[in-house]
Amino acid sequence: MEKLFNRKVTVTLKYLVVAFVSSLMLMLIMSSFAKREYAISGFLTIGLIAIALTYLTNYSIPMKFFLPGMLFLFAFVVGPILYTVAMSGFQYSTGNYISKPDAISRIIATGIRPDANQTTFDIIVGEDSAKNLEILASDPTNKVYFLSTATTKTDLDPTVLAVDENGDATKAPGFHPLTPDQQNAVDQKIADTRFAYSSAYFITIEGSNVASLKSQTLMYNSSTDTFTNVQTGAIYKDNGVGDYANVANKVELLQPGWRAPIWFSNYTKLFTDPQIRKPLVKVFIWTMVFASLTVLTQFALGLLVAMIMNRKLFGRRIYRSIFILPYAMPSIMSILIWGGMFDTEFGAINHLFGTHVHWFQNAMYARAAVIIVNLWLGFPYFYLICSGALQAIPAELSEAAAIDGATNRQIFRKITMPLLLQVVSPLLVASFAFNFNNFNIIYLLTGGGPSNTLGGDVAGSTDILISYTYKIAFGAGTQNLGLASAISVVIFVIIASISLYGIRRSKVLESFK
Amino acid sequence: MKKFLKEDLWRHAIALVICFFVLFPIYLVFLSALSPSGSLQVTSFIPKAISLRNFHMLFSSPLIPYLTWMKNSIVIAGIVAILSVVIGAASAFAFSRLRFKGKKQGLQLLLLVQMFPAILSLSAVYVIMERVYSFAPRIGLGTQPGLLLVYMGGAMGVNIWLLKGFVDSIPLELDEAARVDGASAVQTYWLIFVPLAAPVLAVVSLLSFIGTFNEFILARLFLVDMHARTVAVGLQGFISGQYVSNWGPFAAGSIIASIPLVAIFLSLQKYIISGLTAGSVKG
Repeated sequence: MEKLFNRKVTVTLKYLVVAFVSSLMLMLIMSSFAKREYAISGFLTIGLIAIALTYLTNYSIPMKFFLPGMLFLFAFVVGPILYTVAMSGFQYSTGNYISKPDAISRIIATGIRPDANQTTFDIIVGEDSAKNLEILASDPTNKVYFLSTATTKTDLDPTVLAVDENGDATKAPGFHPLTPDQQNAVDQKIADTRFAYSSAYFITIEGSNVASLKSQTLMYNSSTDTFTNVQTGAIYKDNGVGDYANVANKVELLQPGWRAPIWFSNYTKLFTDPQIRKPLVKVFIWTMVFASLTVLTQFALGLLVAMIMNRKLFGRRIYRSIFILPYAMPSIMSILIWGGMFDTEFGAINHLFGTHVHWFQNAMYARAAVIIVNLWLGFPYFYLICSGALQAIPAELSEAAAIDGATNRQIFRKITMPLLLQVVSPLLVASFAFNFNNFNIIYLLTGGGPSNTLGGDVAGSTDILISYTYKIAFGAGTQNLGLASAISVVIFVIIASISLYGIRRSKVLESFK
Repeated sequence: MKKFLKEDLWRHAIALVICFFVLFPIYLVFLSALSPSGSLQVTSFIPKAISLRNFHMLFSSPLIPYLTWMKNSIVIAGIVAILSVVIGAASAFAFSRLRFKGKKQGLQLLLLVQMFPAILSLSAVYVIMERVYSFAPRIGLGTQPGLLLVYMGGAMGVNIWLLKGFVDSIPLELDEAARVDGASAVQTYWLIFVPLAAPVLAVVSLLSFIGTFNEFILARLFLVDMHARTVAVGLQGFISGQYVSNWGPFAAGSIIASIPLVAIFLSLQKYIISGLTAGSVKG
């Protein structure tokens, strides 16, 4: 009886949760669809259908367990990864951020020039009777007055107009001026509109009450997909990598470009373009050195501490608590504090040793600092791992070896180390993979520096691949998301191979158990 | 006594040197937190004057909503810790115990996905959340719920792996017995697995809590508003300016923010270590 009641409660609860989540998602689907975010609303719709199918039927039991986790994983991990992989096939950088149609309209909008006399008009912005945007333009010196909308120009007879002391028209029949508030509301539209003048010329608004006569210099021909400069006669063609280039002079590009699919060019550039390859090789070498040195030093110190503590020692518990402090503290804060300690003028390190080392200005010192700080942060991890592993090694083994006449050193080398490594080596590989991508320590401690920014180098001496890529994608200078994405994919392949190797090793271990 | 000299003295000597290495930065944090000048400039390692000015500043200055930051961090990390483990545990159970098509591929996908450098899909996450903001301003870019959603996604991979390791270690006979008695997979999960794994779930949520509490890059990208920030982002703001380095309040704030984490860690180290050996690496 009690069981039945419980079941009723849980089933009701389940339907309540499903109903709540579904209605929430339905709301999001509708609002995202209304905003034309079709990819997102599509994903949510699939999610909603999957939820309904999974929890309202018994079609698939495993899905009942997987679905919530899967939805999160796909939305915020798999989705962004696929997006990044897609970006790596595009010319996607500063100057090439927008779509091609947007780029064409931007080029058309900016490819204009004033007429030879640099004619200007005094204007009032308003609307015609059909609520179309209209300007009342006056040229008091030549006594020329007219109304102009985006499509038609109507000349006005100066004698019937109300004119102010400057000779500017203030009123015209059928013209309704806009108040400043109304103007602000359609600000962008006013700035974008080209008011009719003659077949070759049009009027654009320059300031609050001034407009000038312009003509189009860059003409777009949609049938051949080319731009022609009517002034110089130069022809610009789509160069296939996201820009219109002058046919006669291929390096002369029209701004802006667009994000164009260039397939594997970002990848081939990594190996062929010396300006990219050289820093990349340098950074890659340091990344390997950094990750291996970090793992080695952390493991060595961790093991040393574990061995010292691996017997009854006065105050062992206190020591232990102290040793794991760096691991327990929030690492961001410890890294920032270490950063302050390495300061040349006021830092505690120089003060302690009475030195005056420029830690973060010299490449080698900066690298040493990074390794030291990472040692501090990470050795407790290996201490904990090693002390666990050491305790798990049966004492009989070393006792037996001692009876057979082995020295302490022999016991360590021939018995302890091999057994220990068997347990620790997958973790060493994992730690290597983690440090390979240890963004925080580089970014917060040295920022990748020191670097020769005056010489135009993006890569600093302590930059590892991930911080270097971050700089390429989000840095201060030119940002190149396409290239950064390509490097990310390469890093991914490297890390994946290292980790797969590690997993193979650990699988071997499992089969021994 | 002779044995002490031979066996233990050098151990103590090395241990003390390492203690110095470990404690030196921590001592300096206390030094600058308690110094009235509020800088990390070391003129002497022995404090000349002690003041609580920096601590006082954190709690009284209207410009530094420190308590709000702490609350934000704890709430965000807490929700992520609980929800991600609740959701992750279900998947881990299914991976470990259920038989279905595509199990191997699923596990491999999960593993692969984790190896992608998360920081580099940052721009994609940014673009996606920017779009979400355009139709749902409450959960998009710049909001705490939005950050929470992204954290949930990120925590999933690690937690499922960790938890799967634990589930694998629970004897298979238990759920076989349950199955023989006629329990469905869902019942086995709720009635056998969840009660058995409760301590493990607690440890993994703890690790998840620490990881989220420590997260900095995403939080800085998402939380621009002063009052929405987490402790890590807020405190970093003190010393990130090129000309204003408020080490004093930063140090004081770090100490307070560290206390809960260190306390959790030291009191539960035994359990946390079992999680570490299962393959989690803390940043």
